[in-house]
Amino acid sequence: MKERSKAYQKRIDKALATPKLQQALHQFGDAYLVSREKAFAGLDFEALRREIGVMKDDVRNNHARYMQQFIDNAQAAGATIYQADTAEDANRYIAELAVKQGVKLTVKSKSMASEETHLNKALEAANIKPLETDLGEWILQLSGQRPSHMVMPAIHMFKEEIADLFSKETGQQEPADIAHLVEIARQQLRQGYLDADMGISGANLAIAETGGIALVTNEGNARLATTLPKTHVALIGIDKLVPTLEDAAKVIRVLPKNATGQALTSYVTWIRGAVPCEGGEKDLHIVLLDNGRSRLAADENCCETSRCIRCGACANVCPVYQSVGGHVFGHIYIGAVGIILTAFFHGLDNAAEIVKACIGCRSCVAVCPADIDLERIILSLRETIADKEGIGGGKSLVFRKVMRNRKLFHGLLRAASVLQKPVTRGERTIRHLPLFFSPLTEWRTLPAIADKPLRDIWPKQQLNAPAKKVALFGGCANDFLYPELGTDLIEVMNHLNVEVDYPLEQNCCGVPALYSGDKETAIELAKQNINAMLKGNPEAVLTTCPTCTMALQRDFIECLKDDPSWKAKAEKLAEITVDAAGYIVNQLEAADQFENLPLPQKVTYHDSCHLKRGAGVWREPRQLIETSGHELVEMDHADRCCGFGGSYSLTSHPEIAKQILGDKLQDIEKTGADCVAMDCPGCMMQLRGGLEKNESKVQVAHTIELLAAGLRAEKAASD
Amino acid sequence: MDLYNQFCVAAETSGAVLVDCKGPVEAVAYIVKHSDGGVLVPSSESFKRVDLADQLQKAGATLLEVNRSQAAEAASGVTSACFAIADTGTLVLESTPEDVRLASTLPTRHFVLLDRSKIVADGLAAVDSLRRMHQRDTRNYIAYITGPSRTADIERVLTIGVHGPKQLHILLLNDWSSDLLEM
Repeated sequence: MKERSKAYQKRIDKALATPKLQQALHQFGDAYLVSREKAFAGLDFEALRREIGVMKDDVRNNHARYMQQFIDNAQAAGATIYQADTAEDANRYIAELAVKQGVKLTVKSKSMASEETHLNKALEAANIKPLETDLGEWILQLSGQRPSHMVMPAIHMFKEEIADLFSKETGQQEPADIAHLVEIARQQLRQGYLDADMGISGANLAIAETGGIALVTNEGNARLATTLPKTHVALIGIDKLVPTLEDAAKVIRVLPKNATGQALTSYVTWIRGAVPCEGGEKDLHIVLLDNGRSRLAADENCCETSRCIRCGACANVCPVYQSVGGHVFGHIYIGAVGIILTAFFHGLDNAAEIVKACIGCRSCVAVCPADIDLERIILSLRETIADKEGIGGGKSLVFRKVMRNRKLFHGLLRAASVLQKPVTRGERTIRHLPLFFSPLTEWRTLPAIADKPLRDIWPKQQLNAPAKKVALFGGCANDFLYPELGTDLIEVMNHLNVEVDYPLEQNCCGVPALYSGDKETAIELAKQNINAMLKGNPEAVLTTCPTCTMALQRDFIECLKDDPSWKAKAEKLAEITVDAAGYIVNQLEAADQFENLPLPQKVTYHDSCHLKRGAGVWREPRQLIETSGHELVEMDHADRCCGFGGSYSLTSHPEIAKQILGDKLQDIEKTGADCVAMDCPGCMMQLRGGLEKNESKVQVAHTIELLAAGLRAEKAASD
Repeated sequence: MDLYNQFCVAAETSGAVLVDCKGPVEAVAYIVKHSDGGVLVPSSESFKRVDLADQLQKAGATLLEVNRSQAAEAASGVTSACFAIADTGTLVLESTPEDVRLASTLPTRHFVLLDRSKIVADGLAAVDSLRRMHQRDTRNYIAYITGPSRTADIERVLTIGVHGPKQLHILLLNDWSSDLLEM
């Protein structure tokens, strides 16, 4: 294992051993969702974010022109502009300016850009004292740590630790009372503003129309730091540029609401040019920082990230972040966008571990105020890193030599179903694995490979005049782990007079390869599956696994986009692919065919990440469950990831996956439901595994299985 | 809800204290009662019309000269808002003159006089005036102020009054000023 990977693993272990941190981040995550919803009440978030996306894309496409406009206007108002290509360049300019002006003390308001460039180190090396005045940043400066969140930098710390830090500053024992600690910060930092010769700030916006900047803050330190010292240096990433004041207002409308659920921060400060200062005028220097931003904007796969307005919401809702915090899931910038920014601002090497830490649940995509498909971009970065570093010998062999050869792959799975007998003891689940495999079954059971896969037991259907003929894309789990899910689907579809075919040449959907960065294998599998599924010319291709759904609806097109004839076929397949519940409710409009079936239970529903946030399906299964007579009870965080994530929970990050599963199991048990339903075999594997290990009474079922069981009971009753 | 009521609800939610005043005399009396020490009164057009500083002094306020050393000692600052934004309860202060910034950042208490008629719907509706300010002056320091200074940096617990004013009092008046660009 690489040194880098070992250090990363250590950070994970340490974070997971700090339950207080997880508790704090979970509490914040819950409170955030409530206040965010309140803040956006009456507003159309989807429309707002599309608007920001379009505006920021325009800036990206016309960056040179808007930037020149900004610079011209800022200079006309008396500002000095410096364009820094790199972090070192920016630091050197600011330190030299400070030395030239004889500055001894600078007061800083919060600036992620200065964290990015390690400006404080550069100032200290030039014998200049940087005093952080944002409360969170000051706490971190006193403790020698870096931010673990972009908006709330010291979110990982507790009042007792902070009281100790402050006690050292004041020379007396300070009580761990938050109001008291805040008052100490006020008293301790006040003189700094009056003594400092230079104030350093960041900016949330640079406005081309005016040549001014805007700062969105709460504490009031930025207003002091930009007012009292005679020199003001604003360090601004060039991606903060917007064309007009309206555009700035649109960003400000969304930023605090999405960052912390605040309608607006206490202060929004618009500064243009060298404003009055102690009888003279302010010496204003605007340092425009590139440091990888131009490369990011020019990158075919990642350029959308330039839209980011740095609200930090992608971390707030991330189950991985909530489990390990920003010191693990981030470098300087944290969370989903942090992975991407790190790759461009701090180099691929610093991003190589955290790029694998994303579980792919798309919760960040759902809340991004700039409409950035963070998950897709992280996947493409994974691919870039895999190309550079390889994806590991074993994995590579499995993908290239085995999965691409369907007969070999399926032959090995069949062989495994026989070989597993000693550990399954004839049961459907594996409770313990021997030797070095044992950690895999420590916290959840694993499903055994079925004696006979779905493809071998696919029955001939006897419908006289089927209304529709469709095909099932089973995916590996439905085919080899849960074949009964496939036969249940037949039962449900036949009930609606729909005939289902199972094309035997279908192979793995390719997501495991794609998510590991092996695009070549993914492309090969996409082609095999397109041929297999389109061959019988079905009216629809049904899926029971939402990850497969996304592969067929989205990834195949992306994989084959450079080959027009294949792309057309991929688009054809995407068009007719639909998950089973959505097909019944939306296309057949046949939910009422399952009205009041026997065997009603108390059922809670778990939203699978790729079904809700990928396919946009979440109402449909609920409708089917309720129509068929079950009592539906909602669990807390119904759409939070279960922690499966394919190889994420099996090999790459089992400890984090276990943590996320633990949260989900608690939410399920709290409902008092008899059964938890879902529409994903991956989630079934994870949740059944966790519930069985906990010896829970709660049953796990696919929505289709619930419907089929009801139909069978109805039939048995009428016979 | 009309803009005025919407503003009042939002401003109170943000932690500001709203004070209904029949006229400047009542506002002066309120400020004197709550100023708790030295008061900074930076000059502005609306203040000049009624000689507010003089009125405050006559009513017993301790006026301080608006400079850095005095500002650092002041308990209260008194300013006037150009206009307000209804949906967020925000005050807009033309703060390019340094005096206004000293009076609104350093003291513990900030009193702002606002004409009830000068309220726009939201941040986008404010842009028109914001742009005219940028057209009128070549250099600008314009402040949107929503409630008192706040932080949640320690354990995400909302705490009022970290570096800026701990109290924001909004004194609501009629016939005080009608120009959205006037302080």
